[in-house]
Amino acid sequence: MNLRLHIWRQTGPSDHGMLRAYNVNNVSEHMSFLEMLDVLNEELIEKGEEPVAFDHDCREGICGTCGMVINGRPHGPLSRTTACQLHMRSFKDGDEIYIEPWRATAFPIVRDLVVDRSAFDRVIQRGGFVSVNTGNAQDGNAIPISKIDADVSMDAAACIGCGACVAACPNSSASLFVAAKIGHLVALPQGKAEAATRAMSMVLSMDAEGFGSCTNHYECEAACPKGISADFIAQMNREFMKSVF
Amino acid sequence: MSFESYIPSGPIEQKWDNYKAEQKLVNPANKRKYKVIVVGTGLAGSAAAASLAELGYNVSAFTYHDSPRRAHSIAAQGGINAAKNYQNDGDSVWRLFYDTVKGGDFRAREANVYRLAQVSESIIDQCVAQGVPFAREYGGYLSNRSFGGAQVSRTFYARGQTGQQLLIGAYQALSRQIGLGKVTMHNKNEMMDLIVVNGKARGIVTRDLVTGKIESHIADAVLLCTGGYGNVFYLSTNAMNCNVTAAYRAYKKGAFFGNPCYTQIHPTCIPVSGDYQSKLTLMSESLRNDGRIWVPKTQGEARGAAEIPETERDYYLERKYPSFGNLSPRDIASRAAKEACDDGRGVGPGGKGVYLDFADAINRLGQSTIEERYGNLFEMYERITGENPYKVPMRIYPAVHYTMGGLWVDYELMSTIPGLFVLGEANFSDHGANRLGASALMQGLADGYFVIPYTLANYFAKGGIEKIDTSIKEVRDAQQQSTEKIQSLLSINGKRTPTSFHRELGKIMWDKCGMARNEKGLSEALIEIPALREEFWQNLTVPGSGEQLNQSLEVANRVADFLEFSELMVRDAVERRESAGGHFREEYQTPDGEAKRNDEEFSYVAAWEYKGEGSKPELHKEQLEFENVKLATRSYK
Amino acid sequence: MQPLLAIWNSTIFQKWVMAVTGIVLVGFLAGHLSGNLLIFLGPDHMNAYGVELRELLHGSVIWVTRIGLLLAFVLHVRAGIVLAARNRKSTGVSNSKVTNKTSTIASRTMVYSGLLILFYVIYHLAHFTWGLAHTEYYSYVDSLGRHDVYRMVVESFRNPVIVATYSLAMIVTGLHLNHAISSAFQTLGINNRRINGLIRSAGPIVGIALVLGFLSVPLSVVFGLVK
Repeated sequence: MNLRLHIWRQTGPSDHGMLRAYNVNNVSEHMSFLEMLDVLNEELIEKGEEPVAFDHDCREGICGTCGMVINGRPHGPLSRTTACQLHMRSFKDGDEIYIEPWRATAFPIVRDLVVDRSAFDRVIQRGGFVSVNTGNAQDGNAIPISKIDADVSMDAAACIGCGACVAACPNSSASLFVAAKIGHLVALPQGKAEAATRAMSMVLSMDAEGFGSCTNHYECEAACPKGISADFIAQMNREFMKSVF
Repeated sequence: MSFESYIPSGPIEQKWDNYKAEQKLVNPANKRKYKVIVVGTGLAGSAAAASLAELGYNVSAFTYHDSPRRAHSIAAQGGINAAKNYQNDGDSVWRLFYDTVKGGDFRAREANVYRLAQVSESIIDQCVAQGVPFAREYGGYLSNRSFGGAQVSRTFYARGQTGQQLLIGAYQALSRQIGLGKVTMHNKNEMMDLIVVNGKARGIVTRDLVTGKIESHIADAVLLCTGGYGNVFYLSTNAMNCNVTAAYRAYKKGAFFGNPCYTQIHPTCIPVSGDYQSKLTLMSESLRNDGRIWVPKTQGEARGAAEIPETERDYYLERKYPSFGNLSPRDIASRAAKEACDDGRGVGPGGKGVYLDFADAINRLGQSTIEERYGNLFEMYERITGENPYKVPMRIYPAVHYTMGGLWVDYELMSTIPGLFVLGEANFSDHGANRLGASALMQGLADGYFVIPYTLANYFAKGGIEKIDTSIKEVRDAQQQSTEKIQSLLSINGKRTPTSFHRELGKIMWDKCGMARNEKGLSEALIEIPALREEFWQNLTVPGSGEQLNQSLEVANRVADFLEFSELMVRDAVERRESAGGHFREEYQTPDGEAKRNDEEFSYVAAWEYKGEGSKPELHKEQLEFENVKLATRSYK
Repeated sequence: MQPLLAIWNSTIFQKWVMAVTGIVLVGFLAGHLSGNLLIFLGPDHMNAYGVELRELLHGSVIWVTRIGLLLAFVLHVRAGIVLAARNRKSTGVSNSKVTNKTSTIASRTMVYSGLLILFYVIYHLAHFTWGLAHTEYYSYVDSLGRHDVYRMVVESFRNPVIVATYSLAMIVTGLHLNHAISSAFQTLGINNRRINGLIRSAGPIVGIALVLGFLSVPLSVVFGLVK
């Protein structure tokens, strides 16, 4: 198939970017979306032009590095699918495809489709952990954990930190990301001891990083490639208020 | 330069205890006077950085990713082994040790493997304490699954995302230390060179991938936790950015490279679909618990899987290896698949695939059970291939997955350069010639959480580390060389892209130094690789500048090292005139096509020393002593 | 310990303020509606209710309620404006073509519908409570000498401009409530897999019921069911 791409090009954080159009021909339906971009980039390099910068690494949907808005949807049209796992069989000959970076004040653009997501790391550094030093642990089976709790915890822990939730949110809120970490840890006995300080400090840190507030649109849930439920946001709200009183 | 493994005295069960009893320690007040550089933030790197910072050392950690959480450890699906014997099925530290040595085809160092099996239990405890949501039974206790190469269930898992959960656990521990100011994190920084002063590793040169700035960082010890070099094959299950650069530059500075030819080919990957293919996707080995592998009995079979009756199917693993069947170790399962395909009985486009069939399991357990166990893997398969594996069997083919070889280290995980420690997949140490499933996660975390905190103290306590700063000649030289290297890559102005060289190199390596190797192919590779390298330095093109984010420059810099390293790998494969684990030399096989080791001549670790540009590297041999495990022909029949 | 001011200014605390005050206001709407519906029982009930409301416990109830409502209203509006401004800043300058999947017109326009409601409430109070707007309807007195609320309402709703404004305001309120009620539950964290479906669908239903209730009065006047 032949495609017309409109890709956001921006050379640096302070540059004014713009959409530029490119044609890509003879695209196979078995290609992944990123492989299609690889083909374009190879052509650009051969012509001496600078290729489109985009973040990617594992290409199997787990590292959370890739992320781009494809035709208005973070990670593209398929639900529960990262951009690297999206394949060209989801498109057809002659399609126009718009490709843009994540947009949020807290995620400044580095170049083209690459954004700086270090705000996520800083929020985790403010409490997204269990304070246990190496060597402190007792036997792994010492505290039974109900299968239900372990499953809920895993549902939340599946977050890959890609930032699609922020990109999808009309307020650029990081609520789903932060709630997933709080939900992951608070479901387990190991994480309960510091539940209150964690909720308080992560939420305040999320605000300080300049993310917006949640207004319950549920766009994050729809865009999340791991299908993390916005129920965790309700839980975060609860945990936060528990930590206040 | 020391080439001595320093294995502690005493019976194998007591070696690690003896080491700890005799080692020197650094008192808490003195720890904060030491600075440690950790390169790479996968399981080994994050675990080490966090644990060392907890002890009080000052740590600087480096990753070329935008966040330490992205390292490729995250992609491990199946699980992590530990000798907990929670299942009461006969497991023990000894059994895990034995399985690992045997699985590695008797080419691993016994003492290291025993220590690995010993600390495996603490890893699970540590991870549970960190909040890793391992799978649980209804009673609330940890669940286990079985994995290739073992007859006990000792694999702990978190759905199909075990690597992710373990890495997130280590990342969180690391994040806590960053928040506390004990770790300085440098994201988007790639190691360009190792700084060696007076024979000791004292720092690294890095390039900031966003600004292009080349800087030197000084420390009292350097830990390389930079993963494997599977991407030398271009197509592998490794992430796109995995590379050999850090390890290779350390090699050029004097660290010996151990067993570079040992690469693991994973039997269950999604087959290649076209020339544009950028990487291969692994389907967890755990699928082999319930899937049955087969090919048609007749060559050139044209019917679809469903139309082929039971009697015309060859379940070749069950037939050839009845006691392990579909759970035969990776190297054996991979070669068996290659044999079937070479025999013209492969399925799918190009005949490069075999079926992994769940029909029986679905009939026996019901679709919902299969969905519970492998749901996410099935979804992933369908996304990539467009086929529904609940209805038609998966098609799989072997692919490069892991490299057992790596920088040579002694019992303390120190390389031949004092002060340079190597952890995780980047070292050669524990898996011999073949790694068992669910052991990579175990090794990465063992090295990071439970070995380096001890052995590093012993190194520091010996003293002799002088004060230096970045103004000395060694530092300035290393930084200058890195700057020149970047400049030279940018100034070739040829016609070919970095990736096109990488792809071509990968093809040479896969054809001549892949799943099966022979003298002829290997010698051809030794001619083709230098020629390709020559062309690379004449005809490469890298657009843009070195002063900002330039991804083609990053690729070019890594491919340049692959083009040198691949030659070392082939050289090692030539020299190892036997078949062992992941290294299968066609000249050395039993009449029924099994790998044939040669213990008299090759029971050693090949450790290669760099001898300068244009000179042949020198081979050093570390003889392997097997005092506890009897050398035997590895049989899974 | 985090300083109180930081907690007060946090997004989630402000969302709680919004949710709690919102529930108070919805409760008020329900009470207000039950009063309005007395119109169907005739002038006597309606006017008696008006007097009772003002004189209950020597008039203290109505003042406590008024102060409470005013406080809730101010906090609600303030939180809404503060959060909307913040969110605008968070999204930055956006040329983005991001399309919406689960959000609704209602959910995306809460601050605008809210501001419209604010203006309408002021006008509405001026009309029916303070007697500053449409003064011609405010001065009626019934046969018992009570303020003739019934007649004020019926006469007002014979004015098509008033009916139109009122109906429009109610539709905007409906839009606001469509998102607001379920949203408040989510914000308060009253949430459980078993009842989520109920909450997400019950919110709009309660909102619509309230609006239809309010609209029933002017429509009954227009169609001559109430004279």
